[in-house]
Amino acid sequence: MDQILFALLNGTIYGLLLFMVSAGLTLIFGMMGVLNFAHASFYMLGAYFAYTLQPLTGFWLAIILAPILVMGVGILVERFILRHVHEHGHAHELLVTFGLSVVIAEMIKMVYGKFAVDYRVPAELNFAAFSLSGIDYPFYRLFMGGIAVVMFIAIYLLLTKTRVGIVVRSAIYRPQMVEALGHNVPMVFMGVFGIGAALAGLAGAVAGAFYTTNPNMALELGVMVFVVVVVGGLGSMGGAMAASLLIGITNSLAVGSDFRIADILTWIGMGGWADEVGGLLTMRMSSLAATLPFFIMLLVLVLRPSGLMGEKE
Amino acid sequence: MKYAPLLLLVTVAVLIALPWLVSGSMLNAAVQMLISALFAMAFGLLCGQAGMLSFGHAAYFGVGAFAAVHAMNAFGGEGLLPTPLLPLVGGASGLVSGLLAGYFSTKRTGVYFAMITLALAELLHALAPHLKTVFGGEAGVSSFRMPAWGIGFGSLNDVYFLTLVWTLVSIGLLYLFSKTPLGRLALGLRENAHRLRFLGYNTHALGTLIFAISAMFAGIAGALQSMNIEAANYVVLESHISTAVVLNSFIGGVRVFLGPAIGGAVMTFFGHVSSDLTRVWLLYQGIIFVLVMMFLPRGIVGELVERIRNPSGEGLARTISTLLARLASLAIAAFGAVFLIEFLQRVLSPEYRAGVTEGNWPDIALFSYDWAPLSVLPWAFGLGLFGFGIALVIMVNRRVAARKEAQA
Repeated sequence: MDQILFALLNGTIYGLLLFMVSAGLTLIFGMMGVLNFAHASFYMLGAYFAYTLQPLTGFWLAIILAPILVMGVGILVERFILRHVHEHGHAHELLVTFGLSVVIAEMIKMVYGKFAVDYRVPAELNFAAFSLSGIDYPFYRLFMGGIAVVMFIAIYLLLTKTRVGIVVRSAIYRPQMVEALGHNVPMVFMGVFGIGAALAGLAGAVAGAFYTTNPNMALELGVMVFVVVVVGGLGSMGGAMAASLLIGITNSLAVGSDFRIADILTWIGMGGWADEVGGLLTMRMSSLAATLPFFIMLLVLVLRPSGLMGEKE
Repeated sequence: MKYAPLLLLVTVAVLIALPWLVSGSMLNAAVQMLISALFAMAFGLLCGQAGMLSFGHAAYFGVGAFAAVHAMNAFGGEGLLPTPLLPLVGGASGLVSGLLAGYFSTKRTGVYFAMITLALAELLHALAPHLKTVFGGEAGVSSFRMPAWGIGFGSLNDVYFLTLVWTLVSIGLLYLFSKTPLGRLALGLRENAHRLRFLGYNTHALGTLIFAISAMFAGIAGALQSMNIEAANYVVLESHISTAVVLNSFIGGVRVFLGPAIGGAVMTFFGHVSSDLTRVWLLYQGIIFVLVMMFLPRGIVGELVERIRNPSGEGLARTISTLLARLASLAIAAFGAVFLIEFLQRVLSPEYRAGVTEGNWPDIALFSYDWAPLSVLPWAFGLGLFGFGIALVIMVNRRVAARKEAQA
């Protein structure tokens, strides 16, 4: 029971982290129609920036400065690259960001090497928050979850309660009209892109210390974020939230499970056959955990192609 | 384009004569180039003609590669088919996996499609290490090419001709396919899927079919690859293979028929040549891709074809001199950029950092000079050349614009 509780908690926090990155992606997509393939690269940049800054400024300042730097990178990308290719259409923008993700990953490899760097949770945060039946629960996980929750509340309030939020939301809906009313829409786009990047950067700066910080982290998380977005439906914050939590929780439940498909088949008397066939049928759930989100995605595609909360195309 | 058939004939003749023209290592590179050309063409069918951007084409390439290796090992090493026909197995397995994956991924279009293809490829990549009987775990699966039809298939020449024939035949088939009604419908799918649906076509089935055909040719390319190296490892399922085919095809230009093939062949050639010279070839490839996407959205071949079809009306001499001026200034900028990147790479490399002791930074040899990393000189040299080249490009562009204005 305690184990399931831990798994649920871990899954929720991983889900919140996924949401932190996919929220920015969804926000940018909703506004500009651009699927930013390099979004997960911003996550990685956040982690590496924080790792670099940490010895100079200490952990706290590092996780504040790193997202700001990532925001700067994001703004430069939007202003000088994306805006340049905007006239060629959305597919082209997607390709350019795809190219950027390659360039960023290769640069990271050049500067920091191909292997994981030693970016760790600082000692003052590395303690147990509580313990259940003798197992300590790291405080840092709660810290990550807390930051994610605070971020969402802040963004939600910003979008719904402020003048800036009104302009942003209307720029998503009717950009020409907003421009006609005298608002600088390209500037708004740039800001949203920067904030989306900063969110991903913050997620990276915080999570990089807990998980590993390596040049593959962008791809690994990026694929998960895309799965989240397909499952949840692009442009829908609620969908992204639901899908992130769903995938986070199933993932962490599966890691701790010994279940095999052959076990089901044993009930109907085909266990022997399944053991003979081997392959997928006898693989433990724990080793399949990494692939589970993909199967969820396939299921959603068959049952509800537009995603859990997505609108019809 | 009346010279196109002639050009094609000359290219084929050169390709046939190649084993007598170049060294063994170059011939090896040529085999790789042919394989990437075919792979890029398969991708081009899906992406260029049908407008479906796949980020996970390595999956079908890999499936073809593994199918071919298993077919080679079938019947105690006798082989399922005679060696020259083995790519058929790769093609068939690519087709089947393409039908399956295509069914799911073409449920959505646009960016969703791209994300699903990536996720499916990652799914296969995540599963592969666990399925040891199929994918052979860390070691992979290895095999031998058996002699068949009186050909030994032991020498590189035999492999080259096998690859050449299959590549040419496949590209020929792809060309013929683009002329069939189904091939024309692919264009319709790209341009206006709504309208196709309105006309009564089943766009999902159509998309799945085109996806499967593209996967089939990717499978053939994969089979050729594993037959060439007589082994397959689950590394072929990794994302960088999918990435490379996207970059190569778009650098060439996906909307012109042979664009992806030329892009694939040329980039593979540079990759092969530069592998001794630089460790950051992928970085250059990425940068070239971003630049091509920004400034030559049709791709390099696409832009060339466009220029030849619609000459600027300035006369041949003018056009060529402008082109040369642009190329020369770009070359200066590129040299500066390459110098900076290579210098940075050397400064940052672990071997160099290990050699740095208390305030003593050894000189770095680059382009047959020794440069002190702490002095301004190398950085100023690289940045200066880069800036100078860019300034020249801007100048040329301004002149061209001014001339156009004067004409108008």
